[in-house]
Amino acid sequence: MTTIQQPRILGAGVDRVDGPLKVTGQARYPNDVNLPGMAYAAVVRSTIPSGRITRMDTTAAEKSPGVLEVITHENADHLGEAPATFIKNPQPPLQDDAIRFYGQYIAVVVADTQQNATAAAGLIEVEYERHEAILDPHDPRAERIKDPWGEDTAWGDVRTALNRAPVMIDQTYTTSENTNNPLGLFTTLASWDGDTLTLHDSNQWPNMIQQVVAAMFGLPRDAVRVLTPFVGGGFGAGLRCWSHIPLAVMAARHVGRPVKLELTRPEMFTGLGHRTSSINWIRLGATRDGRLTAIEHESLTTLPLDGDEYEPCSSVSTWSYASPNVTARDQQVRLNIPWTNFMRAPGDAQGNFALESAIDELAWEVGLDPLEIRLLNYAEVDPKTGRPWSSNALRRCLEVGAQRFGWSNRNPEIGSMRDGHELVGYGVAGVSFFWYQQPCSAKVIVRGDGSAYVRSAVTDIGTGTYTIMAQLAAGLLGLEVDQVEMQLGDSSMPVGTAAGGSGLTAALGSAVHDACGRLIQKFVDLAGTDPFSPLANVPFEDVAVSEGRLFRKGDPTRGESLARILAVHGLTELSADGNSTPNSPDQLGMTPAGARGARFVEVRVDEDLGRVRVARIVTVNDGGRILNEKLARSQILGGTVGGVGMALFEDTVTDKDTGRIANATFGDYLIPVNADIPDVHVEFVGEPDAFNPIGVKGIGEIGLVGVAPAIANGIFHATGKRIRSLPITMDEVMD
Amino acid sequence: MRVNVTVNGAPMTADDVWPGESLLYVLRERLGLPGAKNACEQGECGSCTVYLDGLPVCACLVAAGQAEGREVLTVEGLASGEELDPVQEAFVECGAVQCGFCTPGLIVQAHSLIAGHDGVPADAEIREHLAGNLCRCTGYEKILDAVRLAARRKAGS
Ligand code: FES
Ligand code: FES
Repeated sequence: MTTIQQPRILGAGVDRVDGPLKVTGQARYPNDVNLPGMAYAAVVRSTIPSGRITRMDTTAAEKSPGVLEVITHENADHLGEAPATFIKNPQPPLQDDAIRFYGQYIAVVVADTQQNATAAAGLIEVEYERHEAILDPHDPRAERIKDPWGEDTAWGDVRTALNRAPVMIDQTYTTSENTNNPLGLFTTLASWDGDTLTLHDSNQWPNMIQQVVAAMFGLPRDAVRVLTPFVGGGFGAGLRCWSHIPLAVMAARHVGRPVKLELTRPEMFTGLGHRTSSINWIRLGATRDGRLTAIEHESLTTLPLDGDEYEPCSSVSTWSYASPNVTARDQQVRLNIPWTNFMRAPGDAQGNFALESAIDELAWEVGLDPLEIRLLNYAEVDPKTGRPWSSNALRRCLEVGAQRFGWSNRNPEIGSMRDGHELVGYGVAGVSFFWYQQPCSAKVIVRGDGSAYVRSAVTDIGTGTYTIMAQLAAGLLGLEVDQVEMQLGDSSMPVGTAAGGSGLTAALGSAVHDACGRLIQKFVDLAGTDPFSPLANVPFEDVAVSEGRLFRKGDPTRGESLARILAVHGLTELSADGNSTPNSPDQLGMTPAGARGARFVEVRVDEDLGRVRVARIVTVNDGGRILNEKLARSQILGGTVGGVGMALFEDTVTDKDTGRIANATFGDYLIPVNADIPDVHVEFVGEPDAFNPIGVKGIGEIGLVGVAPAIANGIFHATGKRIRSLPITMDEVMD
Repeated sequence: MRVNVTVNGAPMTADDVWPGESLLYVLRERLGLPGAKNACEQGECGSCTVYLDGLPVCACLVAAGQAEGREVLTVEGLASGEELDPVQEAFVECGAVQCGFCTPGLIVQAHSLIAGHDGVPADAEIREHLAGNLCRCTGYEKILDAVRLAARRKAGS
């Protein structure tokens, strides 16, 4: 599309377009919607991790004030199978008496107020037959799944290379369970109108919810409409159709009224999945001067009894460094636990912690600067295929980061940098993030007044999709950002993909790019049919757009506004559909690279207490073309703080005997607060990526990755203690 | 029971309120004011912060009956017409908002800090004042920027 001018607003730090709605309390999240006649639901959850229900007494609950309905497996609707979307979705709830984990939904109560529903839910008596639960990943009875996704990878001969390697690192790294904990309590408000269903629902993928609910309730897809214009964050929690959704739908059908089901914070811990714990076994072979000869990375992560999950922790080891011999293998183990699920940078966050810690250990082993060893083993091309990357500025991330941080001030000796009672340590980590993109579509419409609107079913989980897509469309159509209205978060709009995997910007952006190109073509064709148009006989290639006008390149006077073209042809609007599908690596002869990054961290360890404080972080990232610097920076900042949480605080604790999550509140599950946050410097480097027409690489997740190993590496520099398990706690540092 | 409360300057009445009901529930579910958010319902996140007689409180911890005859100011009441309050403006301008779920509570909390301050509060003071407000998206730094900016503007005007 050479005719479309280089978009001029791209990259500008435009204020988010949904900002005013959000700061005034006018943005309507699913929780905020109330409908006439609406009733409220409360769930009842199992209090054993394994077994079956032998008796449920709902009499008292049914007689409780305001109660409209109590649904258990004994009177629940029989629902159809939940289809897998990108990944499996939980099968419909309340279909049998089996208990698979502590916290599983076993009943839902509907009442006139939330209080009445909650009070009645507490009156249901349940008796169980208890079975022995499997809760420990090392339990020999647990089902193990090898190579769960058929992605185990090997090249060269790792065994021989490790045997011959003059230097070897052989260590185990573990990470704990984390819980996504978006601030917004996930809510479903279900409302039936005859055989059609409307859901106001918290999720990251409205079309997925639509598809799964339609299948379970035996409805045609277009009989289900899912509205998610705003959602209070997700971090992966909204990428499956969780069981509270069909519960709300079923409840609304039973009582013949709209039903709102808002999860409580403790229910968010069991009902939406969580980041799996991981065990990573890493063996590195290297020459004495630190050149890698072998990487072996194996991982073990957890699964619920009846779900699946994609957490290929070992895969980072197949693309992060150049090594002639690599083996990467993953295994999963099934336990009586709530679902494991995507959480910001699934697999990568854990795998990168292991790999970047091991690389650091190798640096110390061979006496190299930890920064140098990363540059020495740099993957100039995709180490697996030898193909060039679609873009890769990791080297630049490391170099720029080192400079901004002042890495050269580092005294290489352990414990040598002291400030009073505090031992100061510098840590570094590199990040090579995965690439992910799915098909997506959008519609772009220009109205009679020359303004435009863009529609797609995708939702903006807070990252800034509304804003950057308005910027993109404005740039491509030659309009101002405030002339483009965005309509998102409605499953009835053009089919959209998930706001997940850092893949939405490339997917939706490419669809918007396609639609805008087609739309301009339509305008040019239309003008061509008008003999009086200044654009008559001007070929498409020679047309440019700016300030709401089409004109002949090089002669801005020879042109016509979009509004005028519509008026001349008696049209109130003109629209075009756009689609995007990921390019083929084979066809382009390149490997699509996800975002790249480097983290530099200064930690301070109190030598008497073992308290770790992160004093400052420099985070440099290559996200290809950055559409909006202000919003991109905010993504990286938020991710960085998530990384600090993963490193130092976050730990979902499951009681070993009962399978109950013991810390399912904000008081007990620690996420970083304002005062925990160090000085963070964010910078972007790199070039537009060659794999998609708009040159972007998603940056929603990468900010989190690499922070934990950089902190752990810094602690080693400060104290000589190598901590190989997350979160890092004071007792380990003092040990 | 019946609860009479002045919200954002307008007298309002909620009927059939259960005595254990929170002010947050009454605002959100009975009075049509969902600006204040519920994210924990037990005083641990600050998303529900509103003014009660001029003092910022977690509305989830205030029993509705305690608000009887008193004045409540919510995030919906801060802007005058189309014109945003300087704190709201600064949050948008500094990029202190992502998903926006924590935002109403933070804005009220930040507003109360600046209202009680003549100059620009020190960073430590801002962090302390906002310590009870969790945000899972922004990483806090831009929120600090926003508070500083709003305070500077107020001090300068
Ligand atoms: S909802 Fe009131 S403090 Fe969390
Ligand atoms: S903006 Fe999402 S929790 Fe703060």
